[in-house]
Amino acid sequence: MTGDLDKAKDAFQGTVREAALRSARGEPPADRLWFFRDARWRCLALTDKDLQAEPGHLAEHEVAPFAPAQVEQLHVEQLAAWVSAAPEPQRSAMALFYLDEFSQAELASVLELKPRELPQLIATGRREFQAWLDAVVPHVDDEA
Amino acid sequence: MPSCRTLMMKRRQSSLVDCAPITDKPGTDRAMRTAVTRARRGAGAPRFAHQQALDRAIAALVQSIPVGPEIAEWFANESLIPAGKRRWRKILFNPVVVAIAIAVMVIAGVFSYRVHERIKDFPGASAARHLLTVASSTRSVLLDPIRTDAGALSDLFFMKHRLEHYDVPPTFADFKTIGCRVFDDEDGQRVAQIWLVEKHMQLFLFPAEKDPQGRRVPDFDDWRFVEQEGWTGAVKQRNGVCFMAAIRGTDKDLAPYLSTKSEQPASSAAR
Repeated sequence: MTGDLDKAKDAFQGTVREAALRSARGEPPADRLWFFRDARWRCLALTDKDLQAEPGHLAEHEVAPFAPAQVEQLHVEQLAAWVSAAPEPQRSAMALFYLDEFSQAELASVLELKPRELPQLIATGRREFQAWLDAVVPHVDDEA
Repeated sequence: MPSCRTLMMKRRQSSLVDCAPITDKPGTDRAMRTAVTRARRGAGAPRFAHQQALDRAIAALVQSIPVGPEIAEWFANESLIPAGKRRWRKILFNPVVVAIAIAVMVIAGVFSYRVHERIKDFPGASAARHLLTVASSTRSVLLDPIRTDAGALSDLFFMKHRLEHYDVPPTFADFKTIGCRVFDDEDGQRVAQIWLVEKHMQLFLFPAEKDPQGRRVPDFDDWRFVEQEGWTGAVKQRNGVCFMAAIRGTDKDLAPYLSTKSEQPASSAAR
Protein backbone atom coordinates (compact mmCIF):
# COMPACT_ATOMS: atom_id res chain seq x y z
CA MET A 1 0.00 0.00 0.00
CA THR A 2 2.86 2.35 0.70
CA GLY A 3 5.02 1.21 -2.21
CA ASP A 4 7.97 1.50 0.14
CA LEU A 5 9.32 -1.33 2.29
CA ASP A 6 10.57 0.94 5.09
CA LYS A 7 7.25 2.75 5.37
CA ALA A 8 5.44 -0.56 5.41
CA LYS A 9 7.70 -1.72 8.24
CA ASP A 10 7.04 1.51 10.15
CA ALA A 11 3.31 1.02 9.77
CA PHE A 12 3.55 -2.61 10.82
CA GLN A 13 5.70 -1.89 13.85
CA GLY A 14 3.46 1.00 14.87
CA THR A 15 0.44 -1.27 14.75
CA VAL A 16 2.12 -4.05 16.70
CA ARG A 17 3.39 -1.56 19.28
CA GLU A 18 -0.08 -0.10 19.70
CA ALA A 19 -1.51 -3.61 20.12
CA ALA A 20 1.15 -4.43 22.71
CA LEU A 21 0.36 -1.22 24.62
CA ARG A 22 -3.32 -1.98 24.58
CA SER A 23 -2.67 -5.52 25.78
CA ALA A 24 -0.50 -4.16 28.59
CA ARG A 25 -3.37 -1.87 29.61
CA GLY A 26 -5.69 -4.84 29.68
CA GLU A 27 -7.57 -3.69 26.57
CA PRO A 28 -6.24 -5.97 23.83
CA PRO A 29 -7.44 -5.57 20.23
CA ALA A 30 -10.87 -7.08 19.79
CA ASP A 31 -9.98 -9.20 16.76
CA ARG A 32 -7.48 -9.64 13.94
CA LEU A 33 -9.33 -7.10 11.77
CA TRP A 34 -8.26 -4.41 14.21
CA PHE A 35 -4.63 -4.94 13.09
CA PHE A 36 -5.45 -4.48 9.43
CA ARG A 37 -7.66 -1.46 10.12
CA ASP A 38 -4.96 0.18 12.23
CA ALA A 39 -2.18 -0.69 9.78
CA ARG A 40 -4.22 0.68 6.92
CA TRP A 41 -4.66 4.07 8.58
CA ARG A 42 -0.97 4.16 9.45
CA CYS A 43 -0.08 3.42 5.81
CA LEU A 44 -2.41 6.17 4.65
CA ALA A 45 -0.92 8.62 7.13
CA LEU A 46 2.61 7.73 6.03
CA THR A 47 1.86 8.09 2.33
CA ASP A 48 -0.16 11.24 2.84
CA LYS A 49 3.02 13.30 2.84
CA ASP A 50 4.30 11.73 -0.41
CA LEU A 51 3.69 12.91 -3.90
CA GLN A 52 0.12 12.04 -4.82
CA ALA A 53 -1.05 10.82 -8.19
CA GLU A 54 -3.10 13.41 -9.98
CA PRO A 55 -6.75 12.54 -10.09
CA GLY A 56 -7.86 11.67 -13.56
CA HIS A 57 -9.54 9.03 -15.64
CA LEU A 58 -7.53 5.86 -16.01
CA ALA A 59 -7.92 3.54 -18.95
CA GLU A 60 -9.85 0.35 -18.35
CA HIS A 61 -9.58 -2.91 -20.27
CA GLU A 62 -11.60 -6.05 -19.91
CA VAL A 63 -9.66 -8.83 -18.20
CA ALA A 64 -7.85 -10.79 -20.88
CA PRO A 65 -7.35 -14.56 -20.99
CA PHE A 66 -3.60 -14.00 -21.19
CA ALA A 67 -3.55 -11.76 -18.08
CA PRO A 68 -1.96 -14.46 -15.82
CA ALA A 69 0.93 -14.77 -18.25
CA GLN A 70 1.37 -11.00 -18.13
CA VAL A 71 1.34 -11.03 -14.31
CA GLU A 72 4.04 -13.70 -14.30
CA GLN A 73 6.35 -11.26 -16.05
CA LEU A 74 5.81 -8.61 -13.37
CA HIS A 75 8.10 -7.89 -10.46
CA VAL A 76 6.60 -7.53 -7.02
CA GLU A 77 7.90 -3.94 -6.89
CA GLN A 78 5.97 -3.09 -10.05
CA LEU A 79 2.78 -4.44 -8.56
CA ALA A 80 3.45 -2.54 -5.32
CA ALA A 81 4.06 0.64 -7.30
CA TRP A 82 0.77 0.26 -9.16
CA VAL A 83 -1.22 -0.46 -6.01
CA SER A 84 0.33 2.39 -4.06
CA ALA A 85 -0.44 4.82 -6.89
CA ALA A 86 -4.13 3.95 -6.93
CA PRO A 87 -6.53 6.42 -5.31
CA GLU A 88 -8.09 5.68 -1.96
CA PRO A 89 -10.12 3.66 -1.08
CA GLN A 90 -9.39 1.62 -4.20
CA ARG A 91 -5.76 1.23 -3.15
CA SER A 92 -6.67 -0.29 0.21
CA ALA A 93 -9.38 -2.42 -1.37
CA MET A 94 -7.02 -3.91 -3.95
CA ALA A 95 -4.20 -4.43 -1.45
CA LEU A 96 -6.39 -6.20 1.06
CA PHE A 97 -8.39 -8.14 -1.53
CA TYR A 98 -5.25 -9.69 -3.03
CA LEU A 99 -4.01 -10.72 0.40
CA ASP A 100 -6.77 -13.33 0.01
CA GLU A 101 -7.38 -13.31 3.75
CA PHE A 102 -10.85 -11.83 4.10
CA SER A 103 -14.46 -12.42 3.25
CA GLN A 104 -16.38 -9.64 1.53
CA ALA A 105 -17.97 -8.58 4.82
CA GLU A 106 -14.59 -8.48 6.58
CA LEU A 107 -13.07 -6.45 3.77
CA ALA A 108 -15.92 -3.96 3.91
CA SER A 109 -15.47 -3.77 7.67
CA VAL A 110 -11.71 -3.15 7.50
CA LEU A 111 -12.15 -0.57 4.76
CA GLU A 112 -15.15 0.99 6.48
CA LEU A 113 -17.16 0.73 3.28
CA LYS A 114 -20.70 -0.32 2.53
CA PRO A 115 -20.70 -3.93 1.26
CA ARG A 116 -22.06 -2.88 -2.17
CA GLU A 117 -19.26 -0.35 -2.70
CA LEU A 118 -16.52 -2.96 -2.48
CA PRO A 119 -17.32 -5.00 -5.63
CA GLN A 120 -17.37 -1.79 -7.68
CA LEU A 121 -13.94 -0.77 -6.42
CA ILE A 122 -12.48 -4.22 -7.09
CA ALA A 123 -14.04 -4.51 -10.55
CA THR A 124 -12.85 -1.05 -11.62
CA GLY A 125 -9.40 -1.70 -10.13
CA ARG A 126 -9.16 -4.98 -12.00
CA ARG A 127 -9.96 -3.35 -15.34
CA GLU A 128 -7.52 -0.52 -14.68
CA PHE A 129 -4.89 -3.05 -13.70
CA GLN A 130 -5.46 -4.93 -16.99
CA ALA A 131 -5.05 -1.68 -18.93
CA TRP A 132 -1.85 -0.95 -17.01
CA LEU A 133 -0.64 -4.53 -17.62
CA ASP A 134 -1.28 -4.14 -21.34
CA ALA A 135 0.86 -1.01 -21.28
CA VAL A 136 3.68 -2.41 -19.11
CA VAL A 137 3.79 -6.03 -20.27
CA PRO A 138 2.15 -6.05 -23.70
CA HIS A 139 0.90 -9.41 -24.76
CA VAL A 140 2.57 -10.87 -27.78
CA ASP A 141 0.46 -13.32 -29.71
CA ASP A 142 2.51 -16.46 -30.41
CA GLU A 143 0.78 -17.06 -33.70
CA ALA A 144 1.53 -13.55 -34.95
CA MET B 1 -39.77 -10.35 -19.45
CA PRO B 2 -37.69 -10.55 -16.26
CA SER B 3 -39.30 -8.98 -13.21
CA CYS B 4 -37.77 -6.10 -11.29
CA ARG B 5 -36.86 -8.48 -8.48
CA THR B 6 -35.09 -10.86 -10.86
CA LEU B 7 -33.11 -7.98 -12.32
CA MET B 8 -32.12 -6.79 -8.85
CA MET B 9 -31.03 -10.32 -7.91
CA LYS B 10 -28.97 -10.62 -11.09
CA ARG B 11 -27.33 -7.26 -10.43
CA ARG B 12 -26.55 -8.24 -6.85
CA GLN B 13 -25.09 -11.57 -7.92
CA SER B 14 -23.02 -9.93 -10.63
CA SER B 15 -21.79 -7.45 -8.04
CA LEU B 16 -20.85 -10.27 -5.66
CA VAL B 17 -18.97 -12.08 -8.42
CA ASP B 18 -16.77 -9.00 -8.86
CA CYS B 19 -15.22 -9.68 -5.48
CA ALA B 20 -15.49 -13.46 -5.53
CA PRO B 21 -12.99 -15.16 -3.22
CA ILE B 22 -9.73 -15.99 -4.97
CA THR B 23 -9.47 -19.35 -3.27
CA ASP B 24 -12.22 -21.45 -1.71
CA LYS B 25 -12.58 -20.44 1.92
CA PRO B 26 -14.68 -22.24 4.51
CA GLY B 27 -16.34 -19.05 5.80
CA THR B 28 -17.77 -17.94 2.44
CA ASP B 29 -21.41 -16.97 2.85
CA ARG B 30 -24.27 -18.62 1.01
CA ALA B 31 -25.05 -15.65 -1.25
CA MET B 32 -21.47 -15.53 -2.47
CA ARG B 33 -21.32 -19.30 -3.02
CA THR B 34 -24.54 -19.14 -5.06
CA ALA B 35 -23.28 -16.20 -7.11
CA VAL B 36 -19.98 -17.96 -7.82
CA THR B 37 -21.69 -21.22 -8.80
CA ARG B 38 -23.98 -19.36 -11.20
CA ALA B 39 -21.08 -17.38 -12.63
CA ARG B 40 -19.19 -20.62 -13.30
CA ARG B 41 -22.15 -22.17 -15.09
CA GLY B 42 -23.77 -19.15 -16.72
CA ALA B 43 -23.18 -17.32 -19.98
CA GLY B 44 -20.46 -15.20 -18.39
CA ALA B 45 -18.41 -18.27 -17.38
CA PRO B 46 -15.41 -17.50 -19.66
CA ARG B 47 -15.24 -13.92 -18.40
CA PHE B 48 -15.43 -15.12 -14.80
CA ALA B 49 -12.73 -17.72 -15.49
CA HIS B 50 -10.42 -14.96 -16.79
CA GLN B 51 -11.16 -12.86 -13.72
CA GLN B 52 -10.36 -15.74 -11.38
CA ALA B 53 -7.18 -16.59 -13.28
CA LEU B 54 -5.99 -12.98 -13.02
CA ASP B 55 -6.91 -12.81 -9.32
CA ARG B 56 -5.03 -16.03 -8.61
CA ALA B 57 -1.97 -14.81 -10.50
CA ILE B 58 -1.90 -11.52 -8.57
CA ALA B 59 -2.50 -13.29 -5.24
CA ALA B 60 0.38 -15.66 -6.02
CA LEU B 61 2.62 -12.68 -6.74
CA VAL B 62 1.56 -11.06 -3.47
CA GLN B 63 2.20 -14.29 -1.57
CA SER B 64 5.69 -14.40 -3.01
CA ILE B 65 6.62 -11.18 -1.18
CA PRO B 66 9.19 -12.29 1.38
CA VAL B 67 8.43 -11.55 5.03
CA GLY B 68 11.44 -10.13 6.85
CA PRO B 69 12.85 -12.21 9.72
CA GLU B 70 12.17 -9.48 12.29
CA ILE B 71 8.51 -9.36 11.26
CA ALA B 72 8.20 -13.14 11.29
CA GLU B 73 9.70 -13.07 14.78
CA TRP B 74 6.90 -10.83 16.01
CA PHE B 75 4.30 -13.31 14.90
CA ALA B 76 6.23 -16.22 16.42
CA ASN B 77 6.68 -14.61 19.85
CA GLU B 78 3.71 -12.36 20.40
CA SER B 79 0.12 -13.23 21.02
CA LEU B 80 -1.68 -9.93 20.84
CA ILE B 81 -5.12 -11.12 19.94
CA PRO B 82 -7.04 -12.42 22.91
CA ALA B 83 -8.47 -15.90 22.64
CA GLY B 84 -12.03 -15.64 21.41
CA LYS B 85 -14.35 -15.40 24.39
CA ARG B 86 -17.59 -17.24 24.30
CA ARG B 87 -20.07 -14.47 24.01
CA TRP B 88 -23.25 -15.90 25.43
CA ARG B 89 -25.29 -12.99 24.26
CA LYS B 90 -24.06 -13.50 20.70
CA ILE B 91 -24.69 -17.23 20.90
CA LEU B 92 -28.18 -16.66 22.28
CA PHE B 93 -29.14 -14.26 19.51
CA ASN B 94 -27.74 -16.47 16.77
CA PRO B 95 -30.67 -17.04 14.35
CA VAL B 96 -30.07 -20.79 14.36
CA VAL B 97 -30.19 -20.90 18.16
CA VAL B 98 -33.28 -18.67 18.21
CA ALA B 99 -35.00 -20.88 15.62
CA ILE B 100 -34.17 -24.04 17.58
CA ALA B 101 -35.35 -22.44 20.84
CA ILE B 102 -38.66 -21.40 19.26
CA ALA B 103 -39.12 -24.88 17.77
CA VAL B 104 -38.39 -26.53 21.12
CA MET B 105 -40.83 -24.17 22.88
CA VAL B 106 -43.56 -24.94 20.33
CA ILE B 107 -42.96 -28.69 20.66
CA ALA B 108 -42.95 -28.38 24.47
CA GLY B 109 -46.15 -26.32 24.33
CA VAL B 110 -47.92 -28.83 22.11
CA PHE B 111 -46.64 -31.69 24.25
CA SER B 112 -47.78 -30.12 27.52
CA TYR B 113 -51.14 -29.24 25.98
CA ARG B 114 -51.55 -32.86 24.89
CA VAL B 115 -50.54 -34.11 28.34
CA HIS B 116 -52.94 -31.68 30.00
CA GLU B 117 -55.68 -32.75 27.64
CA ARG B 118 -54.92 -36.42 28.31
CA ILE B 119 -55.04 -35.88 32.10
CA LYS B 120 -58.44 -34.25 31.74
CA ASP B 121 -59.65 -36.95 29.34
CA PHE B 122 -62.28 -39.51 30.21
CA PRO B 123 -63.54 -42.60 28.37
CA GLY B 124 -65.37 -41.41 25.28
CA ALA B 125 -63.66 -38.01 25.17
CA SER B 126 -62.19 -38.56 21.71
CA ALA B 127 -65.58 -39.59 20.31
CA ALA B 128 -67.13 -36.56 22.00
CA ARG B 129 -64.53 -34.27 20.41
CA HIS B 130 -65.24 -35.78 17.01
CA LEU B 131 -68.95 -35.16 17.53
CA LEU B 132 -68.24 -31.53 18.40
CA THR B 133 -66.66 -31.26 14.96
CA VAL B 134 -69.83 -32.79 13.54
CA ALA B 135 -71.86 -30.26 15.54
CA SER B 136 -69.88 -27.34 14.18
CA SER B 137 -70.42 -28.47 10.57
CA THR B 138 -74.03 -29.62 10.79
CA ARG B 139 -76.73 -27.55 9.11
CA SER B 140 -80.35 -27.87 10.21
CA VAL B 141 -81.39 -29.10 6.74
CA LEU B 142 -79.45 -32.30 7.35
CA LEU B 143 -81.76 -33.27 10.19
CA ASP B 144 -85.29 -34.59 10.00
CA PRO B 145 -87.48 -31.70 11.09
CA ILE B 146 -89.34 -32.61 14.23
CA ARG B 147 -90.81 -30.19 16.71
CA THR B 148 -91.31 -31.80 20.07
CA ASP B 149 -89.75 -32.03 23.52
CA ALA B 150 -86.25 -33.49 23.51
CA GLY B 151 -87.23 -36.06 26.11
CA ALA B 152 -89.87 -37.49 23.77
CA LEU B 153 -87.26 -38.45 21.21
CA SER B 154 -85.91 -41.25 23.38
CA ASP B 155 -88.97 -43.30 22.50
CA LEU B 156 -88.53 -42.50 18.83
CA PHE B 157 -84.93 -43.71 18.96
CA PHE B 158 -85.98 -46.88 20.70
CA MET B 159 -88.96 -47.72 18.52
CA LYS B 160 -87.75 -46.55 15.12
CA HIS B 161 -84.01 -47.23 15.38
CA ARG B 162 -83.91 -49.87 18.12
CA LEU B 163 -81.53 -47.74 20.15
CA GLU B 164 -81.91 -48.80 23.75
CA HIS B 165 -81.05 -46.39 26.57
CA TYR B 166 -80.64 -43.46 24.16
CA ASP B 167 -82.30 -41.30 26.78
CA VAL B 168 -82.15 -37.54 27.11
CA PRO B 169 -81.48 -36.57 30.74
CA PRO B 170 -84.39 -34.79 32.48
CA THR B 171 -82.48 -31.53 32.65
CA PHE B 172 -82.71 -31.30 28.82
CA ALA B 173 -85.93 -33.26 28.37
CA ASP B 174 -88.22 -30.22 28.21
CA PHE B 175 -86.32 -28.26 25.57
CA LYS B 176 -88.02 -27.89 22.20
CA THR B 177 -86.34 -29.53 19.24
CA ILE B 178 -85.84 -28.37 15.65
CA GLY B 179 -84.88 -31.75 14.26
CA CYS B 180 -83.01 -34.96 14.84
CA ARG B 181 -81.24 -37.74 13.00
CA VAL B 182 -79.49 -41.04 13.63
CA PHE B 183 -76.27 -41.77 11.77
CA ASP B 184 -73.30 -44.11 11.89
CA ASP B 185 -69.99 -42.63 12.99
CA GLU B 186 -66.58 -43.62 11.59
CA ASP B 187 -66.52 -46.74 13.79
CA GLY B 188 -69.98 -47.79 12.68
CA GLN B 189 -71.51 -46.83 16.03
CA ARG B 190 -75.04 -45.46 15.99
CA VAL B 191 -75.18 -41.80 17.00
CA ALA B 192 -78.34 -39.84 17.69
CA GLN B 193 -78.20 -36.09 17.13
CA ILE B 194 -80.84 -33.64 18.32
CA TRP B 195 -80.96 -29.94 17.51
CA LEU B 196 -82.61 -27.72 20.11
CA VAL B 197 -84.29 -24.36 19.68
CA GLU B 198 -82.58 -23.22 22.89
CA LYS B 199 -79.40 -21.40 21.86
CA HIS B 200 -79.11 -23.84 18.94
CA MET B 201 -77.67 -26.40 21.30
CA GLN B 202 -77.14 -29.91 19.98
CA LEU B 203 -77.50 -33.11 21.95
CA PHE B 204 -75.71 -36.32 21.06
CA LEU B 205 -76.26 -39.84 22.28
CA PHE B 206 -73.64 -42.41 21.42
CA PRO B 207 -72.39 -45.78 22.73
CA ALA B 208 -69.89 -45.65 25.58
CA GLU B 209 -66.29 -46.57 24.93
CA LYS B 210 -65.15 -50.11 25.54
CA ASP B 211 -61.89 -51.13 27.17
CA PRO B 212 -59.27 -53.23 25.27
CA GLN B 213 -60.93 -56.41 26.54
CA GLY B 214 -64.19 -55.29 24.96
CA ARG B 215 -65.88 -54.57 28.28
CA ARG B 216 -67.94 -51.47 28.77
CA VAL B 217 -66.23 -48.79 30.87
CA PRO B 218 -68.01 -47.80 34.09
CA ASP B 219 -70.70 -45.13 33.86
CA PHE B 220 -70.12 -41.69 35.31
CA ASP B 221 -72.85 -39.37 36.45
CA ASP B 222 -70.94 -36.10 36.72
CA TRP B 223 -70.57 -33.74 33.80
CA ARG B 224 -67.23 -33.91 32.02
CA PHE B 225 -66.22 -31.33 29.48
CA VAL B 226 -64.55 -31.41 26.08
CA GLU B 227 -63.72 -28.53 23.75
CA GLN B 228 -63.18 -28.47 20.02
CA GLU B 229 -63.25 -25.74 17.38
CA GLY B 230 -64.99 -23.20 19.62
CA TRP B 231 -67.61 -25.71 20.78
CA THR B 232 -67.93 -27.14 24.25
CA GLY B 233 -69.56 -30.39 25.19
CA ALA B 234 -70.74 -31.64 28.58
CA VAL B 235 -70.75 -35.43 28.72
CA LYS B 236 -72.14 -37.97 31.14
CA GLN B 237 -72.56 -41.73 30.76
CA ARG B 238 -75.44 -43.88 31.88
CA ASN B 239 -76.38 -47.46 30.97
CA GLY B 240 -73.51 -47.71 28.52
CA VAL B 241 -74.66 -44.68 26.51
CA CYS B 242 -72.96 -41.30 26.55
CA PHE B 243 -75.02 -38.18 26.42
CA MET B 244 -73.43 -34.93 25.29
CA ALA B 245 -74.91 -31.44 25.27
CA ALA B 246 -72.94 -29.28 22.86
CA ILE B 247 -72.97 -25.51 22.56
CA ARG B 248 -70.95 -22.97 20.62
CA GLY B 249 -69.02 -21.27 23.41
CA THR B 250 -67.40 -22.25 26.67
CA ASP B 251 -68.38 -24.40 29.63
CA LYS B 252 -69.74 -21.21 31.27
CA ASP B 253 -72.37 -21.04 28.52
CA LEU B 254 -73.41 -24.61 29.30
CA ALA B 255 -73.28 -24.34 33.08
CA PRO B 256 -76.82 -22.94 33.55
CA TYR B 257 -78.29 -26.01 31.80
CA LEU B 258 -76.43 -28.64 33.77
CA SER B 259 -78.13 -30.04 36.79
CA THR B 260 -75.75 -31.47 39.36
CA LYS B 261 -78.26 -33.70 41.05
CA SER B 262 -78.48 -37.29 39.82
CA GLU B 263 -81.74 -37.92 38.11
CA GLN B 264 -83.30 -40.83 36.29
CA PRO B 265 -83.99 -40.12 32.61
CA ALA B 266 -87.65 -39.62 32.03
CA SER B 267 -88.10 -42.20 29.28
CA SER B 268 -86.20 -44.97 31.06
CA ALA B 269 -88.36 -44.49 34.09
CA ALA B 270 -91.43 -44.70 31.89
CA ARG B 271 -90.17 -47.90 30.25
